[in-house]
Amino acid sequence: MESPQTVLIVDDSRVSRLMARQYILGMHADWIIEEASTGEDALEKVKTFTPKLVLMDVNMPGMGGLAAAEQMRKLLPTAHISLLTANVQTATRNRATELGIGFMEKPITEARIAQLIAPLEARP
Amino acid sequence: MITLNELQHDALVEIFNIGVGQAAASMSGIVNEEVTMSVPSISFLNRAEAAQLLGGKNKLDQLQRICGVSQHYEGAFQTEAILMFPEDKSLEIVRLMVGESVPLAELTEMEQEAMSEIGNIILNSCVGTLANLFQRELQGSLPVYHVGTSEEILSASGSASDSVVLMLHIDFILEMHQIHGYVAFILDVSALHDLKEQINLYLDKVMGQG
Amino acid sequence: MSMDANRTGLLEGVLAAVNLGAIVVDGDCRIVLWNRWMERYTGVPASETIGRDFFSLHEDLRGKRIDSAITQALRSNFPSVLSQTLNKSPFPLYADAAARSRDERMQQALAVTPVDVAGAGRHCLIQISDVSIAVGREKLLRDQAMVLRSQTFSDGLTGIANRRHFDVAIDKELRRAKRYGNALSLLMIDIDHFKPYNDHYGHQQGDQCLIKVASALSGMLQRSTDLLARYGGEEFAIILPDTDAQAAHMLAETVRARVIALDLPHDQSPGRLVTVSVGIATMNASDQYDVPGLINAADRALYAAKRAGRNCVQAHVTTPA
Repeated sequence: MESPQTVLIVDDSRVSRLMARQYILGMHADWIIEEASTGEDALEKVKTFTPKLVLMDVNMPGMGGLAAAEQMRKLLPTAHISLLTANVQTATRNRATELGIGFMEKPITEARIAQLIAPLEARP
Repeated sequence: MITLNELQHDALVEIFNIGVGQAAASMSGIVNEEVTMSVPSISFLNRAEAAQLLGGKNKLDQLQRICGVSQHYEGAFQTEAILMFPEDKSLEIVRLMVGESVPLAELTEMEQEAMSEIGNIILNSCVGTLANLFQRELQGSLPVYHVGTSEEILSASGSASDSVVLMLHIDFILEMHQIHGYVAFILDVSALHDLKEQINLYLDKVMGQG
Repeated sequence: MSMDANRTGLLEGVLAAVNLGAIVVDGDCRIVLWNRWMERYTGVPASETIGRDFFSLHEDLRGKRIDSAITQALRSNFPSVLSQTLNKSPFPLYADAAARSRDERMQQALAVTPVDVAGAGRHCLIQISDVSIAVGREKLLRDQAMVLRSQTFSDGLTGIANRRHFDVAIDKELRRAKRYGNALSLLMIDIDHFKPYNDHYGHQQGDQCLIKVASALSGMLQRSTDLLARYGGEEFAIILPDTDAQAAHMLAETVRARVIALDLPHDQSPGRLVTVSVGIATMNASDQYDVPGLINAADRALYAAKRAGRNCVQAHVTTPA
């Protein structure tokens, strides 16, 4: 029996966070999902919550998603981190590769969320 | 006046952010530099308020000439969409994209065409994402370039003075230059009603209740 | 029946006579129309294009703005414009044989519009206008404005470009180099021991020295795109677009030699002649410089030249990451 996975969704758009949450819970009703609306909030959150997967928007007020993802990578070296963003440029993609994190284009769809949570579903 | 609740408002902002993200990628391809665009906020205003927002608070500033690019869309709903930059920023965007230094008065025909193309890219992206997500079909017109006061540009399409303007605040960042502009959608009562309905349908669908 | 045939004949005649290029592609991007204007200015007959995939005939346009414009027309029903300024001559169109031999493409403005065809689905029309005359006219006006503007952009003492001009130019050239993936070189030239020269020979002669050096340097520049500017008190800068490190180095050496050849006596300097130190920085297509970064690199090279004993040339070398 698999134990429920933990996911952190970081996005300043409440609708985006809700959508991602809905799609994940639709596939795994028992998973534990936390949310943050800025990079700073997300880094604060992981002091008390250890997600296996982090979905990070890029364009947010404050430090922004790229800076937050970079810090997050150091704090959680084994977590799956992926950018989920409307910022689809090569520069951002390259930065994601440099940081060792994933990259997924918005709009958020069920299929894209399924792809993002796949690593958590694989047999250990 | 239309009011959207927090969730509806949020959904609309997010939809436009996705739209301008696409536009930024296109423009990045043209200048070969990183271009970032975002929609930090939106507001609903009447025409007079919109003109004031663009032109500035005092009467004298409102007489300043700015440049705008408009496109007309119709089909499932009808709107006039206008991209505008307030007075001192009007030409900075063209200068950056085109790579030349010219004051507004000297803007040549070729650069007006470049500005029209920039408007075309941004407006098609915004409206395109909206049309896609709402799964509605629209036809669009070719871009029209305007120079005039904010009041003149907003009334150029012949809309009624009591039309509502959905105003998008746009942040445009290219190579350390940050420019703030606006995209205005002029909507009549039925188009507004339509928009609100479509946002609700969209929310129902993605929230899993559809 | 004959009315329809007449009408079709009329429309075909009009399409063959219009003074603009018309290409139509179907929903699969296959060319279904290639008018007489296109045949004439590409030199490619319709028989070779009809039925073929548009992008297989124009591989270099794949993934470019026109690609997304065609997609937007076919999928979202939206028209697009492609201005000459932002999209340089996408199609291989030549005004005449002479232009073709010089590989000088026509200046083009495009409009990409959806066209719904009853019973055959949505198609896309690409209209191409020749805007060469308008562009030529503007270049003339631009050149004239430049002459007028140069009066506020020149250095009072030496007559060459001033610091303001330099600032505007370096920003423009850096952008251009990045956009087209060309190399850009910057030379920073500083007169050696200039303060002692001024102190010993007086400021009047110091000014004369600056004028002579500026004059010699400006005589050396070959291309209209190269810019010599007075950067500071005794410091000059040369902006060299489309110039790689090697060529820049050659020019820097020539600069150094040319100043010595002026034979200006300088009792306060080791070599007894007025000399310069030169720092070079080059931005290649793969580098990511901004303006302060490039100037900084050239400055550091200049400083290295000073430390190496002056009267020499040093190039900035990027240390590998």
